[in-house]
Amino acid sequence: MFSSPKRMDVEQARQDLCRRTLSDIQRPLDRLIYLASMRDYNTGIYHHDGLASRFTEEVACEALADCHREAFRELVICPLDELVSQLDAYRSATHTGPREFLTAWGRLEPYRVAVPVQADPLAAEFLFSNFKIALAVLESQLDSHPAGLAA
Amino acid sequence: MIQLVFFLFIGAALLSSLLFLSRRGGPRAEGDSGVLLEARGALDALQGGLLPDELVQRIFAKDDLDYLVSQEAPKSVRDLFVTERKKIALSWIGQVRSQISSLKHFHAVAARSYAKLGLRTEVELACQFAASLAACRALRLAIYVGGPYAAPRMVGATATAAARICAISEQSLGFLNPVQVKPLASNSLSS
Repeated sequence: MFSSPKRMDVEQARQDLCRRTLSDIQRPLDRLIYLASMRDYNTGIYHHDGLASRFTEEVACEALADCHREAFRELVICPLDELVSQLDAYRSATHTGPREFLTAWGRLEPYRVAVPVQADPLAAEFLFSNFKIALAVLESQLDSHPAGLAA
Repeated sequence: MIQLVFFLFIGAALLSSLLFLSRRGGPRAEGDSGVLLEARGALDALQGGLLPDELVQRIFAKDDLDYLVSQEAPKSVRDLFVTERKKIALSWIGQVRSQISSLKHFHAVAARSYAKLGLRTEVELACQFAASLAACRALRLAIYVGGPYAAPRMVGATATAAARICAISEQSLGFLNPVQVKPLASNSLSS
């Protein structure tokens, strides 16, 4: 692993990331998934070439981890109705059919690998539980109003 | 004969006091460091993960259930919701209770070696621990029987009592916090 970079540099990198990239990703769920995808599954280290070229690999990694934790925290405290809306908007943005999406997310539970490494276990379990309920809500909406969820 | 019994009694009392004092005497480095780390971990878990208002309020918020009712969600979805929330609520109480027990263990075993707590504070703390653990047990039973929204006031009271214990424990563990070293002033080098 890296030696810990200076907090001030990390803060600058974090602001840079928010301004250039994350400002275009409005929903916390989309940010969580985007930032999780920046992380190497084998090492747990975050990579972002643009940010690393402006700062350093270490600083970029810390800034991405900070933003990932922030997105996670926002999602944990988000009410169920918002989570349902975010999940449906995310599905819509990926251009996946509702039935296909609900089946895949129900079976694979991809949200389990999208949380930060140092997330509090209870908070993570709470978020997983809310995802499970949100998926059930969307499924019931799809069953009762098949045209309601746009493909 | 009576005198002999009397002196034997005095001797036994002195010996048992000596044994008691030797057992709770100075800090035993190896064991105590484990207890200290466990207490620090418990404190961090409570303050950082389990007690923040926003998480506790979210777990026990009824507006999520109201949302499902307003959406006319099928009974299966509402049942799933209540089951999931109950599971999380019980897990929250279990973890709070476990961390409070760790802090209680720290105070019973090692705190007096490091923090100079007065007798009154120690008695107060013992009462706080007993009340908190009893509240956790009662809340657990209430939620187990009546579901996640059975005792909202008890949730608040339990979180407040746990936060009070954290505040006192924070003082006892204060010496573990890194020392804030002031940067050397430029004139201190030149003088």
